[in-house]
Amino acid sequence: MVSTKEVLLKELREATINGDSDEVVKLAKKIIEAGIDPLEAVEKALVAGVLELGDRWINGEAFISDIIAAADAMKLGLSILKGEIAKRGGSISYRGRIVIGTVEGDIHDIGKSIVASLWEASGFEVIDLGIDVPPSKFVEAIKQYSPDIVGMSALMTTTMLKQRETIEAIKQAGLRDRVKIVVGGAPTTEEWAREIGADGWAPDAISAVELVKKLLNIR
Amino acid sequence: MARPRIEVLDSEEVMEIHVRSLNILSRVGVKVDHGEALKMLHNIGADVDFTKGIARIPEYIVREALKRAPNCVRLYHRDGKQYIELCGWNTYFVVGSAAYYYMDLRTGEVRRPLSKDLADVAKVTDYLPNTHIMSTAVVPADIPEILADRWRMYVVAKSCSKPIDTGAFTMEGVPDAAKLMAAVIGEENIGRKPFMIFAACSSPPLKWSALTVQNLMDCARYGIPAHIIPMPQTSGTAPATLAGAILQANAEFLAGLVIAQFTKPGAPIVYSGSPTVFDQRFATSCTGYIEVGLISAATSQLAKFYGIPSGSYTVVSDAKVVDAQSSLEASFGALVSVLAGINMAIGSGMLLEENCISLVKLAIDDDIAGSALRFARGIDVDAETIAERVIEEVGPGGLFLKHRHTREWWRKEHFIPKLLDKRTTDMWRKSGSKDLSTVAREYVEKILKEHTPEPLPPDVEKSLSEVMLGIARRYGMEKLPEV
Repeated sequence: MVSTKEVLLKELREATINGDSDEVVKLAKKIIEAGIDPLEAVEKALVAGVLELGDRWINGEAFISDIIAAADAMKLGLSILKGEIAKRGGSISYRGRIVIGTVEGDIHDIGKSIVASLWEASGFEVIDLGIDVPPSKFVEAIKQYSPDIVGMSALMTTTMLKQRETIEAIKQAGLRDRVKIVVGGAPTTEEWAREIGADGWAPDAISAVELVKKLLNIR
Repeated sequence: MARPRIEVLDSEEVMEIHVRSLNILSRVGVKVDHGEALKMLHNIGADVDFTKGIARIPEYIVREALKRAPNCVRLYHRDGKQYIELCGWNTYFVVGSAAYYYMDLRTGEVRRPLSKDLADVAKVTDYLPNTHIMSTAVVPADIPEILADRWRMYVVAKSCSKPIDTGAFTMEGVPDAAKLMAAVIGEENIGRKPFMIFAACSSPPLKWSALTVQNLMDCARYGIPAHIIPMPQTSGTAPATLAGAILQANAEFLAGLVIAQFTKPGAPIVYSGSPTVFDQRFATSCTGYIEVGLISAATSQLAKFYGIPSGSYTVVSDAKVVDAQSSLEASFGALVSVLAGINMAIGSGMLLEENCISLVKLAIDDDIAGSALRFARGIDVDAETIAERVIEEVGPGGLFLKHRHTREWWRKEHFIPKLLDKRTTDMWRKSGSKDLSTVAREYVEKILKEHTPEPLPPDVEKSLSEVMLGIARRYGMEKLPEV
């Protein structure tokens, strides 16, 4: 006999992989009602589902929009299960916390969002500050969330200069030693990253996942 | 719904070519090196000069033959269940047939093929999603030439479930092929569910050889499909002008059609072709000239005017290695084929002016075929695809990547190539900076290692081998070689 728990966890995992937010919300509620350990549901269904999809994508068996949908579904599921986890005195363990945003003056969303979703799909907690993010907002976010890593995206040669400015602002706030900083975006290069004092650079979304894992000594 | 299509002749020009073809057939005639066929042509009213072997065919006979020809030719898979319909604007991609050479997958050396190589081509074609019809692609050197035609059919029928484009090099070729087909699908299904189609090439200008006529008449009697292949070679065996080459090809086709339809009314015939350009600089007969596309599009238009399925050798290349030339010549040909509604776009995998089969080119041609077929599908414009609501929901500055519509439609709207590189430069570098030929070779190696074509049922396999052995015994062979 397969237990209700096994069935529900399997269904939640499937719904996450399918990026079916409505179904994920429904199942997360059912799981709470059934008294199933919500932490287990997060790890074995939500996170495991997104991780599996990430692997599929790397093998060319899934599309980026599938990952984004799955990551969004996961976040919705989490928002429901979080309260229950807290009630039971537990907490979700991520591989790390990352703050990401597209720098001031730059309204390009797509690259930043893809990287954010892939990080989420790789087991990181990602706080997305959105686009056109001024240096002061990055500084505040570091104070508020204490992330392990700050990621900055810039899609134009004119706005990539803001990456330097943001790093300077973080230094001036005395927070530079508390975070690793990674930069990316079409016009950026490894040399540029070194020049402005970032800790890392990645040429594309897949490399961005490898990069943060390396910086945080994961596997 | 507009579908991308091309026409290279206007309706008056089509009629002009038709009328001139009738003139040539009735005034000049065709040489037919086949006594029985000449007698038949004489009996139905043609003006036959038996000493010269020339038949002048009057217009009313051609009209009658056109009336008897079916609009649609069905080609079955080996299992007798799935089938392909050659008609309308459907295009199916066909592996080039009867190459004398083979490009070794590992060394790239051009050498005589072995039966094992033919089995490999069959296996790879069985797997490829956009290559719909297999052929008896090469002439193996490890079997006596006298029975090589039927041996090829046997080898391919064992390793590939798709329909087979083939041809006979011998007078017994078609009756023996009928026996081989009977072993697989039963005697009653030879004409009902044929899984082979035979090439019948006229010999330009205006000549039909004894062997081809025999094959064509045999196919008609059995109800086995045949594609008539005029091979106008501009400035060599046909006029240098495209219109002249098309006219001559059309006259040759119509003569073949008359022979087939008066052998048996309703014979399944495809109006095929293999135009070439005789290159005055090198005295070579070239298949990859862009004019080959124009001639092929024109004969396809004539075929549609007659209501007969069409074909042409359009995916061939004159390149000597798999390179940019082999891919671009195949691409032009594939695109012309789908746009002109050529039902059989033949020549996948072929290099060296139809003389060589390369598995690497075959794999690349499959991506080319998929791309061309996607182009021909055109643009669907309806409430769902026009996405006004989606644009409204996402709004200015939003991101479509997150919308459900994107997930549903991206994969539906695009042909996703297997081999063409679409990755980032960095990903490409990390996976070894491989060019297309290398990627294609590795893909083929993977197919050969991992793909197992659906085997024939054991009893069918046994009776097929017995029929083949019976044929081989007539030539003094007591045992079939292992493949």
